[in-house]
Amino acid sequence: MAVLLPVGTRKGLFLLRSNGGWEVEGPLLSGWSVYHAIVDPRDGTLYAATNNPFYGATVHRSSDLGKSWERAEEIGLPEDSGLKLNATWHIEPGKDSELWLGGDPGVLFRSDDGGLTWEVNRGLLEHPTRERWQPGAGGMCCHSIQLVNGTMYIAISAAGSFRSQDGGETWQPINKDVAADFHPETYPEVGQCVHKLLSHPAKPDRLWQQNHCGVYRSDDRGDNWDRLDGNGLPSGFGFGLALDPDDPDVAYVIPEESQEYHYTAEGRLGVYRTADGGASWELAANGLPERAWAAVLREGCTFDRGAVYFGTQSGSVWTAPQGAANWTEAVRDLPPILSVEAADV
Amino acid sequence: MAVVHLPGTLAAEAGGQKRFELEADTVGEALRQLPMANLLFDEEGELRRLINVYVDGVDARGGRLLEESLSERSEVRVVGAVAGGS
Repeated sequence: MAVLLPVGTRKGLFLLRSNGGWEVEGPLLSGWSVYHAIVDPRDGTLYAATNNPFYGATVHRSSDLGKSWERAEEIGLPEDSGLKLNATWHIEPGKDSELWLGGDPGVLFRSDDGGLTWEVNRGLLEHPTRERWQPGAGGMCCHSIQLVNGTMYIAISAAGSFRSQDGGETWQPINKDVAADFHPETYPEVGQCVHKLLSHPAKPDRLWQQNHCGVYRSDDRGDNWDRLDGNGLPSGFGFGLALDPDDPDVAYVIPEESQEYHYTAEGRLGVYRTADGGASWELAANGLPERAWAAVLREGCTFDRGAVYFGTQSGSVWTAPQGAANWTEAVRDLPPILSVEAADV
Repeated sequence: MAVVHLPGTLAAEAGGQKRFELEADTVGEALRQLPMANLLFDEEGELRRLINVYVDGVDARGGRLLEESLSERSEVRVVGAVAGGS
């Protein structure tokens, strides 16, 4: 089975296929910024969250891996909300035929017809804390959606993380002990700037979070969080986050210098790996450039059972086997990379 | 029969067709007939802010925009607002 990487860029979608090396196809969906793209493991449909400064925010889907495309019917917010959809950010397959879509301004949609039509999630749209949310630098994006044994998690920048145990009817903030250094209260109920939230595939109570203000782990589904930077990481700020499906104590982050500079820490492209649940971190950068001021965005890092992958805003995709002993540049000189995912095809 | 011309990205969303001949009395009537009309209008039915429409070479935003009358020979061009940098 080959690996396919849908790589979303500011100038369309590229498909990277492993065949000993990496074969590059694209750009597809020219003219669209592809914030996120996935291959649905249920039926092989390729979905892309697509945005254009002139023509708005939408979703494209392809049932033949990019040879032909259909666009979703109008995706919008109800007039009574007083809100308009600014961007589509993240697509996540759910149970049965469900498909979930996160967007800006802090909204979630569900489709039951393969992404053709989308219904807004009222529980989140009308969340009683919404007036305390605020947009981060990338807008108020709902960028992380995780579905684990009937529990849903979402994360919004800058509203924080939320959990639903009733299929999305209601959402409970899960931000205890997660810092918001930019906020008048350092530990508010909501308003945290989560950059990426992942649940561990084999240990469903374990969540990892790369935040604007640190790296965190929870072992109780987000009820409590432990801050994990300061023990080997050059910075707690970053966006990319990856895991090892076979080892819940392993995580990877790509620290950035600061919330003001947004380039890789210490002037190098460094991936940091923990193998002890975040108690310590080690630089795993063999093969990566030692002098680089790169940036990896929140959707720009992913993993599968065999490898970790990330793409930079300078257009390179890097891969390493799980463990990150050696990195290889799969492709370079793509447009600025917004997202990387991995699929078996 | 008015003629509507589309830029590349919109034409791709209309199955590759760049030129449409349409029966329409106004700009709004013409644009709403296009197969990718939902890319031109937002959820409230307003023409998106960064879309310009020219009728026979004249910016319709300086006139009645969607209510601008079309004649049998009108040429309508849809153009993304000129904005550089990315």
